[in-house]
Amino acid sequence: MEQSEPRIDYGIYEVFVQKSHGDFHIHVGSVAAPSPDLALQTARENFLRRDRAVNLWIVPRKHVYATPYDDPDFFARETDRKYREVGGYTENGRLWRMFKEKALHLEDIVRSLRDLEGNQKPTE
Amino acid sequence: MGDASRFERFMERLHRGEKIEATDWMPDEYRQLLLKLIHMHAVSEIMGALPEKEWVPKAPTLKRKLAIMAKVQDEMGHGQLLLRVAEDLAAPLGKTREDLVTDVITGRVKFHNVFHMEAPTWADAGVIGWLVDGAAIINQAALLDTSYGPYARVLKRICAEESFHMQHGENIILALARGTEEQRAMLQDAVNRWWESLLFFFGPVEVTDAARRMIEYKIRTKTNEELRQQFFNKYVPRIRSLGLTIPDPELRYDEQEKRWIYTQPDWKKFGEIVRENKGPKSRERIALRRFAHMDQRWVRAALARYSEPEFVG
Repeated sequence: MEQSEPRIDYGIYEVFVQKSHGDFHIHVGSVAAPSPDLALQTARENFLRRDRAVNLWIVPRKHVYATPYDDPDFFARETDRKYREVGGYTENGRLWRMFKEKALHLEDIVRSLRDLEGNQKPTE
Repeated sequence: MGDASRFERFMERLHRGEKIEATDWMPDEYRQLLLKLIHMHAVSEIMGALPEKEWVPKAPTLKRKLAIMAKVQDEMGHGQLLLRVAEDLAAPLGKTREDLVTDVITGRVKFHNVFHMEAPTWADAGVIGWLVDGAAIINQAALLDTSYGPYARVLKRICAEESFHMQHGENIILALARGTEEQRAMLQDAVNRWWESLLFFFGPVEVTDAARRMIEYKIRTKTNEELRQQFFNKYVPRIRSLGLTIPDPELRYDEQEKRWIYTQPDWKKFGEIVRENKGPKSRERIALRRFAHMDQRWVRAALARYSEPEFVG
């Protein structure tokens, strides 16, 4: 390599893929590219050779402001957060059985609403 | 491209089941209808945290206090997510986040009837978590298939958190239902107090012009009455299984018509409560919102003086 050749610096871009309109963009890795346009193309070639997607974001790495890995306190939480999780209320199933009923879950509601599709046309 | 053919292409996209994104061209009417819906949804999440917030200092046990506080946090969080979606829709109309937030203080945006009402006992906190949230979850789950991508994605996240709310609400009322005579009576009183509000919550039986347009634009796919019937399907048997009565002697399932027959709520009274902020707690809660937003303005101003850091690659 010629000593006199100037160094070529590509920028680093972090890559976010949106797989479908129902999904948020998810970070998958990074690419080196000379411009944002080429970063998008490189990202497509590197990350979407098989997977399908509806959208790509590339963000200059220098614009990513992150937490330091050596500060675990940032994510510290009290020992038990069961009270804010569905799993903290498993006794509901047993309690409802005492009343000869079942606990209701979000999935039951989503299913019944989707079952409505086609059966009942909205009245106009 | 002319507006007419752009509109046609837009409608074709909807019929193919495509999602619309914030940066796509959209008819003005579509934007306005969405904005109105999401703005009210966002503001109702924030105002909806207030009746439950009243029970944080008075919750009967530490676990109950932590859980109801977690719910209040979730509701405020949902308000923030929804405001971001509304804000992007409002920007081309020259409206800012500040406008969207202050509209509830100045009465330019309404919030759901249920959040204008009193929650005088712990059983009310339970019934809010169980039935008011239950009704809200049916509404939100029905919107998961909305044609507007940013709203659909945020709703997915909101519904995931609502799954906890459902179990939380059930757990409170199951405890009261198994409690003393006094606790059971308190629960029955709360159900009586909330029943009519819950029916109004789903909106008028007739499909209004705006609702019809929203269905045509696939912003929503179900009518108010379909959702109210779902609510009956899911909750009437459960309320009755607890040995509670529903304060409506006309309520019954008609096997022939395949639907629930019920006494209509007082549409005029609740309509006024929502339109004119005339509910028992409307003024007090708006005043609290005004205090939180206006009196803390200096904090936001001070924080905004922060300058961007030098990013290092």
